[in-house]
Amino acid sequence: MTKIEAIIQPSRFESVKEALLEIGIAGMTVLEVRGHGRQKGHTETYRGREYEVDLLPKIKIEMVLPDKLVDMTVQTILKSAKTGKIGDGKIFLSKVDEAIRIRNDERGEHAL
Amino acid sequence: MALSTPGQVLRETYSAESAKIQQHFDSTGDGRGVTEQRAALVDRIAVDLFCHFFPHESKPASKLSLVALGGYGRRELFPFSDVDLLFLCADSSTEDRVKSAAREFCQALWDMRMRVSPSTRSLSECTKFHSQNPEFNISLLDCRFLSGDERLSAELHDHVLPTVVFRNRAALRENLAELTRQRHAKYGETVFHLEPNLKNSPGGLRDFHTACWLERISELAGEKQFPPNPGRTSPKLNAEAERAFDFLAAARCLVHFRQGRDDNALTYELQSVAANLGLAVRPDTPMPPADWMRCYFRHARVIFMLATQLLDDAVPEKSSLSDRLGEWKARFSNSPFTVSGGRLSVREPASLKDAEQLLSLYEVVARDGLRLSRETEREVEAALPALANDGAAIPGLWAHFQQILVAPHATDALRAMHAQGVLVRLFPEFAAIDSLVIRDFYHHYTVDAHSFITIENLQNLRGKTSEWEKKFADLLSELEQPELLFLALLFHDVGKGMAQDDHIEGSLQAVDEIFPRLGLDATESGTVRYLIANHLEMSANLLRRDIFDTQTIRNFAEKVGTPERLKLLCLFTYADIRAVNPEALTPWKAESLWQLYVSTENYLNRSLDEERVHANRDGREWVERIIPLVSTDANRHDLREFLEGLPRRYLLAHSPQEVARHFEMSRRLETSAVELHLESHGHIYELTVLTADRPQLFAGISGTIAAWGMNIWKAEAFANSGGVIVDTFHFTDPYRTLELNPTEMDRFKGSITDVLCGTVSLESLMRGRKNLRGPALPKVPVSTQIRFDDFCSAHSTLMEIATQDHPGLLYQITSVLAQYGCNLEVALIDTEGQRAIDVFYLTLDGAKLGANHQRKLRDLLLAQL
Repeated sequence: MTKIEAIIQPSRFESVKEALLEIGIAGMTVLEVRGHGRQKGHTETYRGREYEVDLLPKIKIEMVLPDKLVDMTVQTILKSAKTGKIGDGKIFLSKVDEAIRIRNDERGEHAL
Repeated sequence: MALSTPGQVLRETYSAESAKIQQHFDSTGDGRGVTEQRAALVDRIAVDLFCHFFPHESKPASKLSLVALGGYGRRELFPFSDVDLLFLCADSSTEDRVKSAAREFCQALWDMRMRVSPSTRSLSECTKFHSQNPEFNISLLDCRFLSGDERLSAELHDHVLPTVVFRNRAALRENLAELTRQRHAKYGETVFHLEPNLKNSPGGLRDFHTACWLERISELAGEKQFPPNPGRTSPKLNAEAERAFDFLAAARCLVHFRQGRDDNALTYELQSVAANLGLAVRPDTPMPPADWMRCYFRHARVIFMLATQLLDDAVPEKSSLSDRLGEWKARFSNSPFTVSGGRLSVREPASLKDAEQLLSLYEVVARDGLRLSRETEREVEAALPALANDGAAIPGLWAHFQQILVAPHATDALRAMHAQGVLVRLFPEFAAIDSLVIRDFYHHYTVDAHSFITIENLQNLRGKTSEWEKKFADLLSELEQPELLFLALLFHDVGKGMAQDDHIEGSLQAVDEIFPRLGLDATESGTVRYLIANHLEMSANLLRRDIFDTQTIRNFAEKVGTPERLKLLCLFTYADIRAVNPEALTPWKAESLWQLYVSTENYLNRSLDEERVHANRDGREWVERIIPLVSTDANRHDLREFLEGLPRRYLLAHSPQEVARHFEMSRRLETSAVELHLESHGHIYELTVLTADRPQLFAGISGTIAAWGMNIWKAEAFANSGGVIVDTFHFTDPYRTLELNPTEMDRFKGSITDVLCGTVSLESLMRGRKNLRGPALPKVPVSTQIRFDDFCSAHSTLMEIATQDHPGLLYQITSVLAQYGCNLEVALIDTEGQRAIDVFYLTLDGAKLGANHQRKLRDLLLAQL
């Protein structure tokens, strides 16, 4: 089992969600996050006051999938999240030792 | 003593009869009937068992009574509710004697799958008030003899209880109030829950019982005996509450039967089941779950209001100091209203038939946060038929209504108006969303509740301490006409209750009917329409577009047009998202909303110089709108000439009537050097100046205004391609010179003309003014920030200056600019508290300022300021 964490532009979230639904991936966890990579931030002025906009809003999507679905899912996210500009985000993959369904104690891939 | 065959018979009887009761419910949906039948069934079982386990005590004078309490005592036993029983003993020795048999009795009931809540008390124990066990005290109010020593039970019912209640009526009421208020607080003080608890949610069955108990306590305290035929409810409770009980009873029976246990959660699935049955609404006629839940919320609201009214009458929440002061003031004032116990009443109830008086009542509610007394609520409802059905005949309807909308407790007043039927009477369009449910897990509230909460969200911005909430609070305080925003919020979703697929179209249709009745002018109704038509625009940008992308900002800015509309839309979006559910507006979303606002505002201010009117292209539509408003000898060609080259913002910031007036003024420039228009809006004066552009113009006007002791807080300076400037100044008159001496207005205008024409020197005027620097120690010190931007315009340099506001500031800045030789292409002047924020588009010798000039100008300004 593999955990996919994708940090994407908020404006791409609906496209990514629909694309994942189309390939049968319905379960995900969505978080509103802030951060930056190379995109950094900028200084904004408002009415004579300056303030730093250094942590930019992003959406993080997390899901745990059977290994056989990972490649297809990653490709789908890449395709639907990309704008080609700095700030598009990143995808991280990590191995998951166990998954357990709380309702009935199902374990492993059956719990996904 | 275990049950023998007769016990087996009882078990089978109970099982068979219970099945019949369920069949009766399945075919009729009659919840009240089910509870009565089940109580009667349990009576038979309990009496038979009592005779079996207490053969000696079943006789009269046996010193033991079996008494039904609580819901069972009321003959209101839901399918899986607990059976509350009291073994009432004449003395403690009887208590000891019957203990074992009582245990076996209860075991037998448990074996029949009844959940029994037994208690054993002596009569003397019942004479005491149990302050630590308020539930027991209250359950005794519904006591009913079942079997055993009837005289003993009668002694409790007819003598002991009335005496205990009379002596401890205040404590009983306080117990009840405390339990109820805790329960309401646990459920968020609202009837609107996606999956309400039919028993405990506000507006649920427990609230109905609370109302009944309060009436029962009053009866017992007054008459010192139970009413002859008490039934389950007091006859004083109205028919509407009884219908609400029937509805909830049916719903609770359905839940119990379907779940097979004492579960009171009306889940989504069960809502669908109930709707499919048309339960308690239109039996056997399926209806949409949202419509069925609408019926639920209406009934729950009736019960909730009844319970809270009776509670507040019985145990008012502690009066605040302002309430007590209100009482004091009311006693000595000649107001038509009085305040007592924190509740608002009318001295002459008949006066409520006068619509203006009725609205004034709610103005007081909105202003002071007072609640109406129960009596006054009834008087309002009685006066309603005298009110015209659409508010059409009410003079000054908007004058009153806008006072309600902008008051600190506006939503208290609006909710009260809605509850008493006044709001729908004035605005029948609002009925479309009464208790309307949007059935998804995202929307927590009905549409009418959501609309009130949007307004409440903005009112609650006052006093907020988080960084991002303060920013929105500042925006709200800057609005020129906040009442228009609140009006738009109130009606923005009425379209959801109408037939149109697009609710925005429905809402616009509704407000188009309302505007004439309110008497709003074209500009005001245009603003409200704009907000409703575009109320989803900002959140759409937030969630679906890159808010850091210039094109996104440009597109959005074009739709918004002016900073004032941007503020209105931003606040609308803040309030609307926050009113979907308590967690909808996360700090993440709020910060992104703020970021979008700032980027757009900056774009609007920095694109002024680029976005110009081209009268033969995009300006044509404006020409056609304005030409009917000008004098008949004017022609389109002249109007196009006037508009050509003005910033587009000029057209968005001024109504067609204002533009028409400016055009007429420009025509008179053929014979007069300067044209002025001065009018007052409350304590703010608006001066418009048209004249041919020339150096030191802006400095001259602002200096003259300052020389007269006026304080400029807002200004715009535009010029068209023909070199005619249109400058607008908003200023206050702190010394009330113009207000107290109306003839000075002409002299003031004359002064400006003289200075601009050079017949009077500005210096001579300024010599008379000594206080142009303002107080030495400002309350909120503001440091001076000066910023130049060479990129936002192709041919001028933007200079943004933020500094400490004081009288004469604008004159000081523009004098420096004029003396340096700068030409002012566009100016935007604004004030935020003690901070002046001024934006100038400057050229020097027809070109942008270079870095060198920017540096020198900065130094000169800093030295001056």
